[in-house]
Amino acid sequence: MARNKSILTEARQIERAVTLIQLGARLQVLESETDLSYERLLRLYKEVAGKSPSKGQLPFSTDWFMTWQPNIHASLFLNIHEYLNKVSELDEIDVVIKAYQLYLEQTQSQALEPLLSVTRAWRLVKFVDNGMLTLTKCSCCGGHFVTHPYEIAKHYVCGMCNPPARAGKGKLAGGLQIPSAAGRVPAAAPAHAH
Amino acid sequence: MTADQILAEIREANLSYLMLAQSLIRVDREQALYRLGVSEDTARLIGALTPAQMMKIAATNTLLCRFRMDDDIVWGLLANHGKAAANESVNRLHASILMAGRHQEAA
Repeated sequence: MARNKSILTEARQIERAVTLIQLGARLQVLESETDLSYERLLRLYKEVAGKSPSKGQLPFSTDWFMTWQPNIHASLFLNIHEYLNKVSELDEIDVVIKAYQLYLEQTQSQALEPLLSVTRAWRLVKFVDNGMLTLTKCSCCGGHFVTHPYEIAKHYVCGMCNPPARAGKGKLAGGLQIPSAAGRVPAAAPAHAH
Repeated sequence: MTADQILAEIREANLSYLMLAQSLIRVDREQALYRLGVSEDTARLIGALTPAQMMKIAATNTLLCRFRMDDDIVWGLLANHGKAAANESVNRLHASILMAGRHQEAA
C-alpha cells in the first residue's frame, strides 16, 4: 500500500484513530481504516488509552448478532448508520464513528449497557457490505432488523414484537428486562390469580 | 392564554428551536441531520441564519418544528399504551429503531 505523504491527510487519520481508540476500538480496526504504520498506531494507542491494546482475534461470528439482546442493539446501530449513510456523504469509517456515538448516547440516556462495542459495530457494517448479514423488515411493526440474508421477509417478525421465551429474564445490570407479568400471555398475569 | 401570550410563546419556542438546531448543525452536521430529522438543504439554511434573521423567522403564528412520531406504533411504544411500564426500556429502544429507520422524510 502506498503510504500517504500528505501531512494534512495524516493529521486527519491520526484524529480519526484517536476517536476510534477513545471509543474502545481494537488495533485491527485502526490498521484497516488508516494508512498509519503498525508501530505508530501502537504508540498512539498507548498514549491515548494509557495501556497496551488487547491481543487476539476479532470476534468473527455473525451468530452473536442473532441473539435477542445483541440483535436489538445491533439493529439500533445499523438503522442509525443507514440513516447517516442516506443523508450525508461521509467516508465509510466516519459514518461508523458518528453512528456509534449516537448509539452510545441512546444507551446512556436509557442507562443501558452498550452491548455493541465499536469493533463489533465496525464488523457488522463489513458483514452487511459483504452480504453476510442484512436488514429485514419486520412484518409486524415495520422496523428494520439485523438478520441473515436468507430470512423470508414475508414471515419475519422481530425479537421485540415476538420476544423468545427466555428473553429479558437476565438479571445483569444494564440489560433489558421483560417482567413475566408483562408478557404477551394475559392468562399468566398474577392479576387473574384471584 | 390570550392571543398575545400564544404568539409570544410560539416565538420563544421557535427561537429556542432555531438556536439549538443551529448549534447542533455547527457542532456536527451529519449527526444533526439525524437528531433534527431535516434534509441537508434545510440544515444548510438553518446553519447560515444570522441572529436577526432568526428573530424574524421565529416571529410568526405557527411553530417551525413538527411532530415526528405521528403514527400509532411509535406513539404507543413511547406512551406505553396497554403495556406494563416495566417494559419501558425495551419499548423505547423499539421506538428508536423504528424512528431511525425513517430516512425518507429527511432525504
